[in-house]
Amino acid sequence: MNVKSLFLASALTMTLVSTGTAMAARDAISIVGSSTVYPFSTAVAEQFGKTSNFKTPKIESTGTGGGFKLFCGGVGVSFPDISNASRAIKDSEKETCTANGVKDIVEVKIGYDGIVLANAKTAAPMKLTRKEIYLALAKEVPDAAHAGKFIANPYKTWKDINPELPATAIEVLGPPPTSGTRDAFVEMVMVAGAEKFDFIKAMSKSDKNAFKAATETLREDGAYIEAGENDNLIVQKLQANPKAFGIFGFSFLDQNADVVQGAVIEGEVPTFEAISAGKYPVSRPLFFYVKKAHIDVIPGIKEFTAEFTSEKAWGPEGYLADKGMIPMPDAERKQVAADVASLKTM
Amino acid sequence: MATENKQTMKPFSVHMNKDLQRRYRAEKRFQRCGIAAIAIALSFLALLFASIIGSGYTAFRQTFIELDVHFSEDLFKDENLAAADYAGLIKQALRTAFPEVKERRALKSLYMLVSPGAAFSLQDMVKEDSRLIGSRQKIWVPANDDVDMLIKGQMKATEAEADRRLKDDQLGWIGQLEKDGKLETRFNTTFFTSGDSREPELAGIWGAVKGSFYSLLITLLLSFPIGVAAAVYLEEFAPKNFWTDIIEVNINNLAAVPSIIFGLLGLAIFINFWGLPRSTPLVGGLVLTLMTLPVIIIAGRASLKSVPPSIREAALGIGASKMQMVTHHVLPLAMPGMLTGAIIGMARALGDTAPLLMIGMVAFIVDIPGGFTDSATALPVQIYLWADSSERAFTEKTSAAIMVLLAFLICMNAAAVIMRKKFETKW
Amino acid sequence: MIYSYLPFIILLLGACAYFIGSAKAVAVSGGSGGIRSLHSLPSHYGALTALCCVLPALMVYALWQIAEPMVLTSMIKKGLPAAMLQLSANEFSLVLNDIRNAVAGNSLSGSGDTVILAAAQRYMALQATAGKIASAVILVMMIAAVLIMYSRIHIHLRARNIVEGLIRISIILCSAVAIFTTIGIVLSVLFEAIRFFKIIPLQDFLLGLDWSPQTAIRTDQVGSSGAFGAVPIFVGTILIALIAMVVAIPIGLLSAIYLSEYAHPRFREIAKPLLEILAGIPTVVYGFFAALTVAPFIRDIGTSLHLEVSSESALAAGLVMGVMIIPFVSSLSEDVLHAVPQSLRDGSLALGATQYETVKNVVVPAALPGIVGGILLAVSRAIGETMIVVMAAGLSANLTFNPLKTVTTVTVQIVTLLVGDQEFDSPKTLAAFALGLILFFFTLCLNIIAIRVVQKYREQYE
Repeated sequence: MNVKSLFLASALTMTLVSTGTAMAARDAISIVGSSTVYPFSTAVAEQFGKTSNFKTPKIESTGTGGGFKLFCGGVGVSFPDISNASRAIKDSEKETCTANGVKDIVEVKIGYDGIVLANAKTAAPMKLTRKEIYLALAKEVPDAAHAGKFIANPYKTWKDINPELPATAIEVLGPPPTSGTRDAFVEMVMVAGAEKFDFIKAMSKSDKNAFKAATETLREDGAYIEAGENDNLIVQKLQANPKAFGIFGFSFLDQNADVVQGAVIEGEVPTFEAISAGKYPVSRPLFFYVKKAHIDVIPGIKEFTAEFTSEKAWGPEGYLADKGMIPMPDAERKQVAADVASLKTM
Repeated sequence: MATENKQTMKPFSVHMNKDLQRRYRAEKRFQRCGIAAIAIALSFLALLFASIIGSGYTAFRQTFIELDVHFSEDLFKDENLAAADYAGLIKQALRTAFPEVKERRALKSLYMLVSPGAAFSLQDMVKEDSRLIGSRQKIWVPANDDVDMLIKGQMKATEAEADRRLKDDQLGWIGQLEKDGKLETRFNTTFFTSGDSREPELAGIWGAVKGSFYSLLITLLLSFPIGVAAAVYLEEFAPKNFWTDIIEVNINNLAAVPSIIFGLLGLAIFINFWGLPRSTPLVGGLVLTLMTLPVIIIAGRASLKSVPPSIREAALGIGASKMQMVTHHVLPLAMPGMLTGAIIGMARALGDTAPLLMIGMVAFIVDIPGGFTDSATALPVQIYLWADSSERAFTEKTSAAIMVLLAFLICMNAAAVIMRKKFETKW
Repeated sequence: MIYSYLPFIILLLGACAYFIGSAKAVAVSGGSGGIRSLHSLPSHYGALTALCCVLPALMVYALWQIAEPMVLTSMIKKGLPAAMLQLSANEFSLVLNDIRNAVAGNSLSGSGDTVILAAAQRYMALQATAGKIASAVILVMMIAAVLIMYSRIHIHLRARNIVEGLIRISIILCSAVAIFTTIGIVLSVLFEAIRFFKIIPLQDFLLGLDWSPQTAIRTDQVGSSGAFGAVPIFVGTILIALIAMVVAIPIGLLSAIYLSEYAHPRFREIAKPLLEILAGIPTVVYGFFAALTVAPFIRDIGTSLHLEVSSESALAAGLVMGVMIIPFVSSLSEDVLHAVPQSLRDGSLALGATQYETVKNVVVPAALPGIVGGILLAVSRAIGETMIVVMAAGLSANLTFNPLKTVTTVTVQIVTLLVGDQEFDSPKTLAAFALGLILFFFTLCLNIIAIRVVQKYREQYE
């Protein structure tokens, strides 16, 4: 019995392995990268796959860094053609790309993603400034008693920061330090809020490291809770805990407006209109990068970028806006679309 | 019992009776603990099932809207049927249903009632039967996910208008459609037949099911024979020395390696070194094999150990070779335990996402895989991706996908039970 | 196309060879002793013939599968314009991809270059010829092997020894897979980990009490203030695994004992597979359950007892994880308990022991190695679990043994570090590999201890 089954299994295994090693041609676009761009990229890919004769692109959600690692691996069928990113490519990544023969890259900025601070509908709406958020979440804040000195964050409730705010404990669920959302939040809220203090602003010139440590370190005593990157879960946790706030992407607020509400930051309500007009202060650009060497070889790349940069996709009335992406102003869209059509490299 | 007997024996028997009672109480207590343990575990299972089914059963139904579509000839002048403006057909049909809507913005929100996938289903219909052109048909098309959520009661119409995905005028149209009997929920076949989609009403799990099937087939074919063979070698043939100890520690250790590390290994060996195609069930299956192997080997060794030595001695005594002793006597007796190990290992492989992340199977793949080397996702990946989607309607799809996964799991377990029953012996 | 069916043909021929071999063995044994005069059983001769026929054929086939694309590519290379040949290997693979797309009839990117199309034509022609040649070679080889074996079979041929030797080699190879996997894992983690330790000294990593990779957002800040101290993560991992085991071991072991020793067989048949389902429920489900049901529940109880409970607690994650790994303990232990010889129980009961005493003093010690194996698997799974912890216990690395606080585990950190948005050569990403390596050695030690324990306390009966 064993002899036969062993024999059979080994033969079947051989069959499987042999079918695997027969190299197949790749006829679909391969896209990797940011999980923030993923929902938009997939929407375009689906539309593209259904309305053209090309296959639907394959899109992996690997995170921006992981995406660039694959993307910059080299030129060839086994490397992805496009990488999505929730931040611009960094110089070190560009160097890696060049070292591996990926020389011509087309950068496409596609729009903005708003980052909101939200709480449950059952709680009262909050009006905050970036300075207040900084004071609530920074690990070390300026000492009120001694000007120019830092102390460990003493604020327990929102009321401690500003008497007009409610007396509920500070509890904010947000992304971990590895996340691009966190980077963007720190840069646009924490740093901006800290610079409201003149001596910190002065530090940004005199002592860069101390400035960064002061502005970019979030408190670790339980007031800021690093939740995973699952924004749906944060929304549900907020419903269960009306005292808490959450930090997540605008599209999740848009979809769950009946259960959560965005905090008003610097007098601006996080709405589609306010973010696209540039009034709401917390939003970040989204990108994708195309490997030029692949454009004539992998079928459909040109057509895919054309679909992505068409008005019906990324325009104010386009389907990406329905998915929660904030479009760029008209002039910028035109400019980027023209650059993409002419394959202008970085 | 006679009374005098009891009296004479008093000191001893009282002691013994007391002792006996204590022992019996311990016995009872122990038995009750056992029942309680099983009850706790099973009630957790029931709780989990109830919560999954409670939030997911609605996904098996889908709201449809009846449209009066006129396939006018001038739209199909072009030879290429795929190039016709099907979305335009839908829009026209909606305009005829609600002739009072004229303004551009209002029209846009009217079009939003119907799924963007409706145009593709019209396209498929025309492709299948070109005689439709020129005719007028009453066609049921899927409604948009927001409408679907409203009908299923997962979105309240009582909130303030600004907080609702559906605005007042849209609610009015939906109400009218309902009144005219042009809106109903039906069994959601799309969910079982199509691949992933960004539109919840068009998303299905068939692609993921096939991806999981291909991966697990490879895993089963490789890990079970290899695992059993390794267990047999280590337990029956290997000399008991330092090296065997190393291998044993090694295998136990592999079972503790977090699954994402296996993903890293798969990326390094199968994709970068062997050059196998990324995102395919082939690579997925190989990675899951490496992950499942230790579990099968450990379970296999444990059950081989539990075969009494007398069986082996008897077999050797009547002249069997060592190999015959193992294959004819020990292995069949150890089979139930090995199957249990295999099932637990496979169940883990069926439900794990992390190793697939590194080898590119956590991806948006619409086309349904047709073989081991097509790009594919797997069921847990689909669940993971949907659980992270912003659209409300994906919540119920997530639970429904979990139900499908559990159905497979139960089938696997049932198969194991049947096999186990066939092999099991107690001596 | 005979070539595409070749694996099945090889299999079929192998089966034929088996019957030919065993028939020949029966035929040569026609002498005085009948079948008993043979050295081995007829099936051994059959298996030997089949193996001799199939193994070389499969090897040639596999080799050809790997070599074919290379050979064919180099053959069509000659016809391509010189400009194309100057491309680097990877760029050339793009051209080849175009050719292969043309071969497969897929939609093409460019206009459909005539050079490419011509190359595709040639590729197809070559492929067809090559397939025919390979098939012919393999078939001839197989038939030759059968004929040779056929002439060699006689009553003194030690077929069993050869077949068993082959099987033995193959099962040794199977056990070696585990070794290779380990080597592979160590290699795939080691180099990146070394790069990490060049930036962050090993002792800082192992003994540092402060884990917060956030201070190293920019490269100019790397290594400031020892932000990569992994102790809080290890403590968190141990804490959560401990809570999980406190749930899983009693429930799992008691269930196993009840099912094996007390329960009606029919109840056991139903309950056991039901319990096994717990192990297969996707971890996302447990994660949601822990985060949205258990964690708020614990917080409410805690606040009513005036305890400070954070909304994400190790307790919630650990409890739910414990439920998930119950089957690892219960099912595997049940199997080994069930396999303890009935005579041991009978003996103990006959001496007047109650069933409980029998279980405690006889059955469980006899089954100990298997039980420990199951528990080890459960611990492993608890250490390796990520989703539940991410969702219910958060990601903040607090150095605490208080189960009501948020903690994080090694695997959670590995996953978030690997799939985050940061640069891939920053110490943040590299830290994932270092953590992986450390975890590997940590569990290694755990296993060595476990083996010693089992060896010491194992009761060998019969």
